[in-house]
Amino acid sequence: MAFIKIEKLLKKFGTMVAVNHIDLEIEKGEMLTLLGPSGCGKTTTLRCIAGLEKPDEGDILIDGRPMFSKGFVPPSQREIGMVFQNYAVWPHLRVFHNIAYGLKLQKLSKHVIKEKVTEALDSVGLTGLGRRYPGQLSGGQQQRVALARALVRNPKVLLLDEPLSNLDAKLREKMRFEIKSLVRRMHMTAVYVTHDQAEAMVISDRIAVMETGNIVQVDVPEEIYKKPANRFVADFIGTTNFIPGEISEAPRDRDLIHVKTEFGQKISCRVFDSAAAVVNQKVHVSIRPEDIEVFTKSPEGRDNLFKGTIQHRAYLGNFLYFFVNVDSTMIRVQVAYDVRQKEGEELFLYLNPEKCIALT
Amino acid sequence: MSRGNLLISAILWLVVALFVIYPLSFLIIESFKIAGTDQYGLKNYIDFFKDSYYLKTFANTLLLAVLVLITTTLIGLPLAYILARYRLKGKVLFTALILLPIVLPAYAGAFALIVFFGKMGTVNLLLMDWGLISKPINFVFGLHGLVFIQSLHLLPFIVLSLSAGFTNIDPSLEEAAEVEGAGGFKRFLTVTLPLTSPNYLAGAVIVFLWPFTDWLTPLIFGQVDFLPSISYINISYHFTDMHRKYMGIVSVVVSSIICVGIFLASKTWVERKKYTALSKGTTLEGRIIEPGILTKASAYAYMFFIAILVLLIPVVMGLSAFSRRWVLQPFPSYWTLDNFRLIFLETPVLLKNSFLFSGVALIFGVAFGLPAAYLITRTKVPGKDTLDFVITLMLAFPGIAVGVSYLLAFWEGIPLATHWIIMPLSLFVRRLPYFLRMAHASYLQLDVSLEEASEVSGASKMKTFFNISLPLLLKGVFVGLVMFFIMAFQEISTAIFLYRGGWETLPIGIYLNWHRGMEFGIAGAMAFLMIVIIFILLLIVARIGGGILGAAWGSSGGRY
Repeated sequence: MAFIKIEKLLKKFGTMVAVNHIDLEIEKGEMLTLLGPSGCGKTTTLRCIAGLEKPDEGDILIDGRPMFSKGFVPPSQREIGMVFQNYAVWPHLRVFHNIAYGLKLQKLSKHVIKEKVTEALDSVGLTGLGRRYPGQLSGGQQQRVALARALVRNPKVLLLDEPLSNLDAKLREKMRFEIKSLVRRMHMTAVYVTHDQAEAMVISDRIAVMETGNIVQVDVPEEIYKKPANRFVADFIGTTNFIPGEISEAPRDRDLIHVKTEFGQKISCRVFDSAAAVVNQKVHVSIRPEDIEVFTKSPEGRDNLFKGTIQHRAYLGNFLYFFVNVDSTMIRVQVAYDVRQKEGEELFLYLNPEKCIALT
Repeated sequence: MSRGNLLISAILWLVVALFVIYPLSFLIIESFKIAGTDQYGLKNYIDFFKDSYYLKTFANTLLLAVLVLITTTLIGLPLAYILARYRLKGKVLFTALILLPIVLPAYAGAFALIVFFGKMGTVNLLLMDWGLISKPINFVFGLHGLVFIQSLHLLPFIVLSLSAGFTNIDPSLEEAAEVEGAGGFKRFLTVTLPLTSPNYLAGAVIVFLWPFTDWLTPLIFGQVDFLPSISYINISYHFTDMHRKYMGIVSVVVSSIICVGIFLASKTWVERKKYTALSKGTTLEGRIIEPGILTKASAYAYMFFIAILVLLIPVVMGLSAFSRRWVLQPFPSYWTLDNFRLIFLETPVLLKNSFLFSGVALIFGVAFGLPAAYLITRTKVPGKDTLDFVITLMLAFPGIAVGVSYLLAFWEGIPLATHWIIMPLSLFVRRLPYFLRMAHASYLQLDVSLEEASEVSGASKMKTFFNISLPLLLKGVFVGLVMFFIMAFQEISTAIFLYRGGWETLPIGIYLNWHRGMEFGIAGAMAFLMIVIIFILLLIVARIGGGILGAAWGSSGGRY
């Protein structure tokens, strides 16, 4: 059985449904990320797991023990560790006592507490800073104190609520890897909340993408990127092009279907949801900018080949973006930084059918 | 740095030098004067600290301060928690009621208490009528009564500061403690309470210093052995007895030093301890708890109890205002408008003076406060921080110090004391920081770029101020105006030293009528009238200033 089991979880604030009957299972030792834009219900879900919000309906089990529905276990008894978005490091306590707080409540001996806190400080790279007050630390250091405090009691579950969002970009990237390796080393089951898809990709074993209170897709990062379940996921994770159209042919015996685009051409593409593969169904064909090949001359014998004009050329250092006008539909194409074509020149775009996905 | 700013700075400094520094230094110098000679020395201070009577007075005052602080803290802590954290219907109304004493004159409360709880007061008479007691119980006369009335009067300061503390704590700090395994009370003790300590201290200082400044309440309760009361008696009644006069002056200086010292110490401590908010995403209302049915019931009962005590003041004053000969009866039986006829028709000069003096003081306050706020927030004129510091210090100075120093300084040399302008002038100086602080706070909220945009568009600094800044500051300024007026209107501790025949204000009238003993009805009517006027002004502030709580906050900075 899953280590954390959430069933039909419903949480409303007044009439606003924040979390809409979601189901979710998290395995022991797994790092799962709840990903979505603000207001999608990811933080509310996390706070329900922590017990900081009382759900309206549903069940939450941690390690087989019911937390909600059959009674309500308060956060102080759930054996969880949590890192808050604003760190929530107590400003009136020294770093040492911030970390020792939970240990003292467990009535451990002074000696053991000291040992554990020192070890925790070492593990987050704050050796020797125990006597400081949080106000004397940088944002990144405070963030590490919060992490040490959450981990020191060796909780059953580690909950992280956008822990990196208050850090600057460079530090954020560094901390992603640190958190991941620390959590892995301790074989911790962790639930991570973020709205940053790149962060989610790096840090998670699996990602649960949320939209308006629902979980729309749960999978490993590669699958989420390659096979987004719907337009929302495709749009939210990475960058993509959407070409609107209508299914014109959907042969049952083949992988590929045909979509008639609004600009009158035909695209061959894949479809993962067979129920959606119905003729005349309105769809959007999604293709990522890096999956499009460009040619100056039309190559022979290929489908999905479109002629267009470069409207804009954007230099991003390690690559270029061409915004190519194909019969008034703008398609973003990622090409190598040394491609010479200028704005106004013509190009042929090859949209590999294996990489094109029809989404409803 | 423009020449205009320097000019403003020079004028403001001149005002401060002439009306603050000069009289206060005069007071201090006078305290070193050896009676009957032209010499100066420490003799007065040595006499003061050698005299067991004055030492006892000093100890009494200290004891009173400690007891009042303990009482307000014990009563205020649960109240502040209820108001800050529980979701309850009618909270705004209760908050307004509980905070009412901030704007009510302290002496009105003392009168009301005596009428209701005194030896021949309502409660004793009722208990005797019902045969529950045979002799009246002494509810109020003595230290316990003094502690009771001063605690009731000062409770709002503790409640306001603590509830602001409870509201401002980032909810995640408490949630973190919860997740770490700390349940209810443990969490309150280890996280919530320590985090509110800077807020608490700010309120506690105001409470602690009050007994060092309030001379009238002890007198009403028949007690003179407190520093401010003995200063008042010595200076006002024994000015021919040089020894007593100088002992009075020394007590004023000693009280002032204690007040300013404690004020500065706490200010430093709070600034050092102030836990800078780390978070960006805290909710405006902080952590709100849905109380259980039992908690809810006890919370309401508690709020009701305090609200009734507070309401006692206007109700009792109202009863005595509309009656005559309310003696030896639990409730008045002879109803009349005579008291008001007397106030409005026979001595309208009191009302006139009150409005005139407060009004003129208000004009001074605005004329000084607006430029000062501008100077302090928007310019880099040298010495502006010192100016701010000196003005803020006036929060701590007892009113009695201002009154006595004005009496001493403006008698000879600069003989302002013979002109009625001394009355509004002393009120203005006494409440100097009030208006400034409001204007200052509004200025801080006003984005500089709004003003810069005006200047870039070609407006002069002066034009920018009148076209852009002033309209945007108007709300804060207006709340400041009204609060200033309320405070000036009920001021007695300064005015009592300076008034002459024909300059009496409403508060002085209340005091004199009470002092004569026989005219309690008139004193009650005057106090009731003041409460009504203040209440109307408060309603205006509440409408404009957004919430009664916000209105009351405007005055919470300190009041002595």
